[in-house]
Amino acid sequence: MTTLLGWLAGVALVAGLVMGFGVAPREVSQGNVQRIMYVHVPAVWVAYLAFAVGLAASIAYLAGRRPGADRLAHATCEVGTVFLGINIATGAIWGKPTWGTWWTWDARLTSVAVVFVMFLAYLLLRGAIEDRERGARYAAVLGIVAALNIPLVHFSVYWWRTLHQPPSLLKPGASTMPPVILTALLVNFAALALLGAYFVARRTRVLAAEDEALA
Amino acid sequence: MAWKDLVIERRSKETLNALLFFSLALLFVFQFALGPDRERLASVLPGLLWLGFILSGVLGLGRAFLVERENDCWELLLLAPGDKSAIYLGKLAGSLVLMAVVETLVLGLFVVFFDVDLGPALPGLVLVIALGTLGIAAVGTLFAAMTAQVRARELLFPVLLLPVLVPVLLGTVKATEALLLQEPLAAVAHWLKLLVAADVVYLAVGLLTFDVVLEG
Amino acid sequence: MPDNWGFVTAAYAVAAVILGGYWRMLIRKERTVTALRASSGPGTGARAEAEGGVRDDHTSRSRQPSRPGHPRPEPAPRPPLQ
Repeated sequence: MTTLLGWLAGVALVAGLVMGFGVAPREVSQGNVQRIMYVHVPAVWVAYLAFAVGLAASIAYLAGRRPGADRLAHATCEVGTVFLGINIATGAIWGKPTWGTWWTWDARLTSVAVVFVMFLAYLLLRGAIEDRERGARYAAVLGIVAALNIPLVHFSVYWWRTLHQPPSLLKPGASTMPPVILTALLVNFAALALLGAYFVARRTRVLAAEDEALA
Repeated sequence: MAWKDLVIERRSKETLNALLFFSLALLFVFQFALGPDRERLASVLPGLLWLGFILSGVLGLGRAFLVERENDCWELLLLAPGDKSAIYLGKLAGSLVLMAVVETLVLGLFVVFFDVDLGPALPGLVLVIALGTLGIAAVGTLFAAMTAQVRARELLFPVLLLPVLVPVLLGTVKATEALLLQEPLAAVAHWLKLLVAADVVYLAVGLLTFDVVLEG
Repeated sequence: MPDNWGFVTAAYAVAAVILGGYWRMLIRKERTVTALRASSGPGTGARAEAEGGVRDDHTSRSRQPSRPGHPRPEPAPRPPLQ
């Protein structure tokens, strides 16, 4: 099952690359550098999807104490952090030619960076507690706090940057997004989501095996 | 629980004194780092104020369960009958009082050393500080209990707490900034709503999950 | 605007490196765990037999671990301290 998922992801990734480089047109205002968006934007969507699943798994663990729920929470938060890292890195690389700088404290970059650090802290907590069961409990609590905090972070950062200040950048592919670009984004999102699901599946398998081995 | 903590604190004054001296030291560092330029100082004042509050908060909250831990009373906490969330509220109340004392004094020091005119902004400011402190303490108490038994607790506690508190920090600083510029409270209504929302979320999660943290 | 293909390749390369790196970490962990089980399997033969054959490779595990590692909180108090 997991292997099938892996192959599906591989195929979808190829399809995504074809869409992003072959089918999607050269963007009018930004040029071909806009193609970075086809990995940058789906990455953050996958990350937040992963964190949402992580939130559900954390709550499920606290409710039922099934170790499978804890493993799922661990894996999804870890994979989500990886994809968020990809989002930040590709965003910076896109930003350099477009804005002239690697980093800027605009609303989206800042809020993603904060969420990234929050979940890095989650992974740190996981690593710091040796007791298996306590680690699961504490991580579940932190996972819930962190996930619920995401909208608060977004609103606070967005208001911080945009109120009394004109928005300094246009969103890529803003109000009038040609359908082909949207399709390319969605195909890449599906590809990265499948890849993320594949990673989560393998990660939970490893975690389960580790549990067995250390039992 | 809160009463017990306050009594212990009043007798030892350990944490309170340390926090006050820390705040004073921060004040001096801010002054030296920023130099005599009044314009620049005025513009960063809200941020500095909350930097002082949050750093003191991190120090103080990090020690919230120190007494229980050092005196091997942790098991007693775990075995305590009744709803564990009462312990949470008690610890929270104790921390709030401590932070309120420190913040009042720090605010006073700011007014004196940086020649700030609080005047009509004061009631709004008190509200903002109250909302912000509640948020800091609500998450801080929960995380303090979580990191109490962890080996690297002094490092892990601020690392966990600070990113989570970004919304509170942003809300309070922007609101304080506006209030100090004599803007009416209505102008910062959205920040107040954000702070209230954050407080509700943090308190709710704290109350609901503290039992889980204190299971062992 | 110039096309900046260099940046485009850099971005996709970085993404590939991060994803590839994570994949390699997964494979490495799987190998470690398999090796751990292989080495402790023959050594603890009695225990392995008792658990009905621990050795396995690729099927994902759906049953609970045999030890009660994740108890629900019990309302009854724990044994008193000494």
